[in-house]
Amino acid sequence: MTKGIAIEIIDLVKRYPASIGRISGRHPHMGWQVGGIRELFSRKRNYIQALDGVNLKVYEGEVFGLLGPNGAGKTTLIKILCTLVLPDSGKAYVNGYDVVKEPEKVLRNLQAVLGDPRGFDWRLSARANLEFYAALYGLPRDYAKKRIEELLGFMGLIDRANDMYQRFSTGMARKLQLCRALLLDTPILLFDEPTAGLDPISAVEFRHLLKDKLAKSERRTIFMATHNMFEAQTMCDRVAIINRGKIIACDKPENLGRYVNPTKRYVFILDKHNTTSSVKSFMNEVSSLKGIINFNLLRDEDSSMKISITVNENFMISDILAIAIKYDLKIMDIKYYEPTLEEVFMTLVGGREAWPTRF
Amino acid sequence: MADKVLRLSISLRQIMAFAKRDFKDWKTYKTQVITQLITIAIGILSWAINALYRNRPVPEYDTDYISFLVVGLVIGNLVMPISQGIERRLNPWTLENIIMTGIPIPIFVIGQIAWPYMFSLITFIPQLLIGIFWFGVNLRINPISTFFAFIVSAMILLGLSMISIGFRLVTKSTDPITWTVNTLQQLLAGISFPVQFLDNFIPGISQLSWFLPQTWVYHLWRLAMLKAASIMDPAITLEFLKGSIFAVFLFPIGYRVFKWGLNRAKRDGTLGWF
Repeated sequence: MTKGIAIEIIDLVKRYPASIGRISGRHPHMGWQVGGIRELFSRKRNYIQALDGVNLKVYEGEVFGLLGPNGAGKTTLIKILCTLVLPDSGKAYVNGYDVVKEPEKVLRNLQAVLGDPRGFDWRLSARANLEFYAALYGLPRDYAKKRIEELLGFMGLIDRANDMYQRFSTGMARKLQLCRALLLDTPILLFDEPTAGLDPISAVEFRHLLKDKLAKSERRTIFMATHNMFEAQTMCDRVAIINRGKIIACDKPENLGRYVNPTKRYVFILDKHNTTSSVKSFMNEVSSLKGIINFNLLRDEDSSMKISITVNENFMISDILAIAIKYDLKIMDIKYYEPTLEEVFMTLVGGREAWPTRF
Repeated sequence: MADKVLRLSISLRQIMAFAKRDFKDWKTYKTQVITQLITIAIGILSWAINALYRNRPVPEYDTDYISFLVVGLVIGNLVMPISQGIERRLNPWTLENIIMTGIPIPIFVIGQIAWPYMFSLITFIPQLLIGIFWFGVNLRINPISTFFAFIVSAMILLGLSMISIGFRLVTKSTDPITWTVNTLQQLLAGISFPVQFLDNFIPGISQLSWFLPQTWVYHLWRLAMLKAASIMDPAITLEFLKGSIFAVFLFPIGYRVFKWGLNRAKRDGTLGWF
């Protein structure tokens, strides 16, 4: 069964004026706009390119991560999906609804936790804040009451429900934001840096909540922007890497290594009792195999030997093992290395090959 | 039909949600509650005492100066929160989250001013009673005209508020239009003296006053409350029609400016900025 598309982004472009005084002169959806005074007299325009032709598809029930450095365009993309920022060109659809033309329908299908703790009234209790938002969402009174109690219980905030919001810790505030986002029970949830500012225990708890409860149990689509590699690698079904407003890679976390280098690396750790002649014969025969890219013999201080072998992605490791058996080579361990998401990210975004440094 | 009733009841609940939130927020500032009430009382007293000192007849409304002044002050307290409430209560920190609820713009605007306005209504009656029984204010009220004065002035001030907030969403500070209108109002709108009195200083300047929307707010309310002016009287109807022109223009302009400001902030990505 093919999954439906929850979010579709086509050639999305967004530029911001670099200063308040300078705004774009023309908007494709809105015609000519009144410009700042300096804009009227200046032909020189400075812009920040936040998104530069972004294309993405997020499927129903998927946990999708948008990974990128600061200023890469993650928050802009999230805010466009939330209808809080208008794109300059391109299209974005949420469950088939256009974010520019049908914002009301979009917001009935998607809610977000934007990470700004100031979104609540600080002088009101957690419960009163949720009651306020429930009314704005147009939820029937009895249902809202029940839903608020459910959510406060679900998030473990029921004991603090009558405390003023300003007494809340960062972790509790984040949970309350999630309560607000869940009031409407939308199938899609967006998160901007979901665990930023949380202590390690709260972060683990929050990730568990997202992955196991919201994604696995309730089958919601989760779209999260993060620069936390661990979070992206462990939580997301797919990850897109964004840099300078462009998507530079998009795949399952375990497949992203291919974007850096489509090779595989093995390190054979040999028993020190192997004879020099058997090792030499093994190496000679292995080096003639098709698909071997790189081949090194390393000696440790304790005179144990390691052989590092780089092969192409279709190479069968059994070919090497057959040769090892033939020469009665004693192998203590075989280690397989692939680039971590962090190394992929560093290579793609930082422009340098980070992952071989581990060898 | 049932759908419309349901929609209306949801809208009312949304407006009440704003009022409830702001009331709860307001009452947590105990000192502010007390000082606000004292400020209102002192304001009435000081103006009234001042007026008593130099009481004189106001032929424009067939009344005396104390009645003219106290009613002006009461009107100011009743209707001005409409324009001030939205400015003071707009919190950029919560704006993004509120907009994400998908709430319609008019409901958002009315909701923002619901509590300040209710507070004004609550204090309106005691203020009038103080005026009547303490300072002998002579009221001659025409309820129908008062009702129309309320509608026209609410639309005028709501329009001005939306213009103000539309600009504030873009400029993130006081907008020059509201500042100009409010500053001119102090001198020209006839809050504490009939606008014709200005002609004693610069002949003909009172004519400028009639281009200020707030002048019409005070004028229509005073006609309805001091002169018992009936809108069945053609001369009064004409006055109300003139005031309505401001309402008819300012309300839709305000809505468009508000929408423009919102879209502009969305386009510039500055909705949550302050």
